[in-house]
Amino acid sequence: MFKKILIIEDEEIIVDLLQRKLTNEGYEISVARNGEEGLKMMREVKPDLILLDIIMPKMGGLEVMEEMQKDKKLAKIPVIVISNSGQPVEIDKAQKLGAKDWLIKTEFDPQEVIKKIKKQIG
Amino acid sequence: MEESKKKKTKEIKTLEELDRIAKMLGRKDLELMEKREELEEKIKEMDEAKKKETVLRIREQAKTEDVERKAKELEETRVALMNILEDVEEARRKAEEERDKTQAIIANLVDGLLVFDEENKISLINPQTEVFFNVKAKDVVGRQILELSTFPTIEPLVKMVGPEIKGVFRKEIKIKENLVLEVSTVPMMREEEKLGTLVILHDVTREKMVERMKTEFVSVAAHQLRTPLSAIKWTLRMLLDGDLGKITEEQKEFIEKTYRSNERMINLINSLLDVTRIEEGRYLYKPILTDIESVVQFVLNSHEEEIKRKKLKLEFKKPKKKLPRVKLDVEKMRLAIDNLVANAIKYTQPGGQVTVSLKNVKKEIEFSVKDSGVGIPKDQQARIFTKFFRGANVIKMETEGTGLGLFITKNIIEAHGGKIWFYSKEGVGTTFYFTLPIKVEFEEFLKRF
Repeated sequence: MFKKILIIEDEEIIVDLLQRKLTNEGYEISVARNGEEGLKMMREVKPDLILLDIIMPKMGGLEVMEEMQKDKKLAKIPVIVISNSGQPVEIDKAQKLGAKDWLIKTEFDPQEVIKKIKKQIG
Repeated sequence: MEESKKKKTKEIKTLEELDRIAKMLGRKDLELMEKREELEEKIKEMDEAKKKETVLRIREQAKTEDVERKAKELEETRVALMNILEDVEEARRKAEEERDKTQAIIANLVDGLLVFDEENKISLINPQTEVFFNVKAKDVVGRQILELSTFPTIEPLVKMVGPEIKGVFRKEIKIKENLVLEVSTVPMMREEEKLGTLVILHDVTREKMVERMKTEFVSVAAHQLRTPLSAIKWTLRMLLDGDLGKITEEQKEFIEKTYRSNERMINLINSLLDVTRIEEGRYLYKPILTDIESVVQFVLNSHEEEIKRKKLKLEFKKPKKKLPRVKLDVEKMRLAIDNLVANAIKYTQPGGQVTVSLKNVKKEIEFSVKDSGVGIPKDQQARIFTKFFRGANVIKMETEGTGLGLFITKNIIEAHGGKIWFYSKEGVGTTFYFTLPIKVEFEEFLKRF
């Protein structure tokens, strides 16, 4: 069975690239374009891991994590945060809300995404 | 007979008469004598009186003369006094004019002025100060500095200068939203004696706003640039990794070059963001006790390839005894050391020498990196830590470089309570040093904020 990954990210090109890379690696990918859609989708898809952007329209990544904390089932899903700014304050907040790991957009390449995902779910 | 008798009788009568007359005359003579005596007496008296009168008159005359002289003198004195008075009046008018002028200057000054007397009581505030603090002069004049804390607008100032009104030079305080003042205090001295303190308040709200807008602009621009740059980076990476299909050797070469250019752009944007964060004053993040040796080693490892490629001799000198740990923001310290080491490597010709060393000097840790590189031209050494500055000699040899590295490094070191300096000789080499206070000192340093 393929492991399922939910990408919640509004930047189209990032989504395209991640989707391509992760599909090549053999994951089953679903995509949500904002936080609201993401929450709805994680309930339906029940992903093994979530890649979550912080700054998004409608509902941001930090709010999504707050919502996930309220739901026992959702709270168990590992989250890797995609940070745009890479500011320690932001990462700190994400970690407090249960993020397992983080990626800073300008500072990593797709190979690193794979590494971090494998570390979480193999 | 009759006749004779008559005659006789007549004669007798005349004798008697004569006798009577003689007697009467004798009496009259006496009387006259008396009268004369009396008169003489009177004359004498009168003479006496006359004499007295004359003396008196002479005296009187003398007196009048004296009075006249005195009156004249008085008149002269009066004129002299009037003259003096006029001079005094003139001086007073001048003084008043001066005072009015000074008061007008104080009143119309765009800066706020507060004058404290030798007991640190307010003796004067000008209208601008009333506006800044939203208080009336009559409510504060005569009060002790500490009493002023009850006015919420003045409280920040009281906190800054303290009960003794310590010396302050161009320190900024935020009074309220949209009002930032730059405070300077000046002791007023007459020779050795202190007469009080002058506090000058300069409105820098606009400057602050412009500065913030500039910083925000750079910050927003940089953030907005990061997203598309990441997209480019990811796409290029996937192309290079063959994730998007096979590419030819030539294509790969071009894409690799593009990838490197893109990395440079990302570095520049990151540096700009660092600068804006430094300027916003929210740069240092959670320092933790760290072994600095590992930080230096980490940086050196990341440059291994470049050192090999340029055939540089790298030496890392460290003391045998383990160095005490210091409180560091590890990320930032890595960046600071990396900037110094990267410069040493970049500006040293192939085959040159780079020596990195760590020492425990007194209560500080001293880091240094020495190179045998091109050096910094003497006339440019003063500007080396200025942002966007690059030495004329290195611009010619290496176009790449933002001129932000040393500015950022200096800020990182100083934010840790440390000092940074260098020695350099063009054509011989450069040594950069910095020190970091060991824990205790640093905590004291932090307490000051």
